[in-house]
Amino acid sequence: MIDRRNFLTTVALGTASAAVLAACGQPSPAQTGSADNPVTINYTWWGNDDRAERTRKAIALFEAKNPDIKVNGNFTDFPAYWQKRATEAAGGGLPDVMQWDLSYLRDYGQRNQLLDLSTVKIDTSAFDKSLLPSGQIRGKTYGIPTSTNAFAVYYDPAKLASLGIAEPDGSWTYDEYNAFLTEVGTKSGGALFGSSDYTSVWWMFNIWLRQQNIEAFTEDGKLGFSKDDLKEWWNKVADLRGTPAIISEERITQLLPKSAFGSNATASEVTWDNFMAGYLGDSGAKELKLVPVPSDDPDNLGLFLKPSMLMVASAKTKNKDAAARFIDFMVNDPEVGEIFKTSRGVPASKTQRDGTTFEGTDKLVVDYEKSIEKYLKDAPEPPIVGFGTLEASFKRISADLNFGKVDVNGAADAWFKEAEDLIKQNA
Amino acid sequence: MTTIATPTASAADTQAPHYNPKSETAGAKRLKSAIFHVVALALTAVVLYPALWMIASSFKPNAEIGGSNTSLWSSNFSFDNFVTAMDGIGGVSTMTFFTNSLILALGAVVGTILSASVSAYAFARIKFPGRSVFFGMMIATLLLPFHVVIIPQYIIFNQLGLVDTYIPLLVGKFLAADAFFVFLMVQFMRNLPAELDEAARIDGAGHARIFGSIMLPLMKPALISTSIFSFIWSWNDFLGPLLYLNTPEKYPLPLALRLFVDQTQSSDYGAMIAMSVLALLPVLVFFLVFQRYIVEGVSTQGLKG
Repeated sequence: MIDRRNFLTTVALGTASAAVLAACGQPSPAQTGSADNPVTINYTWWGNDDRAERTRKAIALFEAKNPDIKVNGNFTDFPAYWQKRATEAAGGGLPDVMQWDLSYLRDYGQRNQLLDLSTVKIDTSAFDKSLLPSGQIRGKTYGIPTSTNAFAVYYDPAKLASLGIAEPDGSWTYDEYNAFLTEVGTKSGGALFGSSDYTSVWWMFNIWLRQQNIEAFTEDGKLGFSKDDLKEWWNKVADLRGTPAIISEERITQLLPKSAFGSNATASEVTWDNFMAGYLGDSGAKELKLVPVPSDDPDNLGLFLKPSMLMVASAKTKNKDAAARFIDFMVNDPEVGEIFKTSRGVPASKTQRDGTTFEGTDKLVVDYEKSIEKYLKDAPEPPIVGFGTLEASFKRISADLNFGKVDVNGAADAWFKEAEDLIKQNA
Repeated sequence: MTTIATPTASAADTQAPHYNPKSETAGAKRLKSAIFHVVALALTAVVLYPALWMIASSFKPNAEIGGSNTSLWSSNFSFDNFVTAMDGIGGVSTMTFFTNSLILALGAVVGTILSASVSAYAFARIKFPGRSVFFGMMIATLLLPFHVVIIPQYIIFNQLGLVDTYIPLLVGKFLAADAFFVFLMVQFMRNLPAELDEAARIDGAGHARIFGSIMLPLMKPALISTSIFSFIWSWNDFLGPLLYLNTPEKYPLPLALRLFVDQTQSSDYGAMIAMSVLALLPVLVFFLVFQRYIVEGVSTQGLKG
């Protein structure tokens, strides 16, 4: 007699063992191809029409140079991309080579889904030494950065000019930045806000911690800062909340799916420098400029280069050699740089960067990253598992703060509780 | 029962405290009907506003969609979004996405109609050993959340080498895996008089003949409802194609739609909305053609024709 409870257990066990069996598989001998009989590797990426077009060109170029390898490309949008990867990882069907995001690297790397790329031949000599650790976990290289982003303050020079406000030169303290935001809000009579609440951006908080030589996460995946640090951070704009210096949370919600800055509701915004093209497209502004983030220590801006995306290979790929050659080509080849320009971020490899001519917007972003070169520190390690959730709750709790639903103390308590629960869960 | 006090009816009300429908004047009736229509129209407007917004936005330039733009119509009216949308994505033409969606949707309709009606006949009319157990199991699959079976199913199809074909998306339809439709048809068949089968049997008809000549024609309303639902569900399905299809040339519309919006780069909302409008058309046509049968399917209980 099968009762309900037993039945469920049996089904669960069956499913689990099927997953395990599928995960084991049989190691098959490495395959090599020839021009007549090429091996086929699958490559997948997320992105829009534009990236699909550029990638198609890059693949065609690769196939022309490597007639013994054929690359099957496929793409989806970002949220769906991770749904699909999760299913494939469980089912043992990950594509050979994948475009990857930093926040998922530790998760898949620790579960041995990704190939240790130090075991295959990929040339990393042209990479900045401070950048490579961001693709490494416990001594294994799971991802090679294709390109980099840096954090910046965006502003719209035309809007400042119309208000008669001088353009910032990028060396400013937090007080000066706050004063700037207030000036925009008051001079425009509330028609234009200074910015969205910059203390609600996790990475800005992270940079502020680095400005005081605090790491956000310790090596063993715990929080590296205290509740008081977080309170101090959220109190930075305590006087600005509810004034025209900072756009209200209600307004931000009304403007969705566009950002406040992209809808011309604010004059500045702190975020990654690769948002340039998106902001220009959304706002229709003629020109946007980038300056470094504020810091109370002019010698330590806390800035670093973050891989905007990485290339990884599946641990189960049957064509390690072909996968490695494709990754090497995508990150190092100057012609690939010329195809993508800065649409993936600023090329990480020097050979690729030097082989690419940058114009217009592309040049702005590249020049910005060059201008902050002397301030750059080592990139942080790949974020802890579940980082995406933490980043989202940081944003959500900050929003509650702006809605006035909680005070700073309550917000810090709420976030710490969520963070500690999550870290315990994934430990 | 309460009366609605209206100026014209108040005199009658004071004399007759109990509600009497006959005492209601023509004016009150007209007022009631007017209020009803105003409320109904207001609700319709609320429900249809998103559709109106979508259609209006499809003619706007990208920079004027969403954000701080609140006007419904743009002075920069243009068909550019439709042109972009029809251009396709990453070298795959939009017609390909339409064709793929159509193949999947029609495949789903044909498969479901064939398999669900035969299975329903077996459950409703044939007494075979274990019928109620099997029927119970079928109903149980209705209760199984789809997300529970995603991974095991993916593993099976992956091991069979069927990923990146339409087979994983269609095979279930041809094997009556949609328990909902089987159940719908079983219930419908149970309402058909058994005397019809018995009469046919006396005339020497077997199961095949009874099913083909008697049941199928009588089941037309149920078959139509099934086709409409399975068409729309398949047309709108996102997760299935996402998991099982790898080649962009095989993508159906819902996957392609999402490619216009990319939070990490620039988003072309205009093209996405234009494509949504286009993607809506076939479903709308399908619905308009068959909608009178839906009403028929609901109103026909038992015997007709």
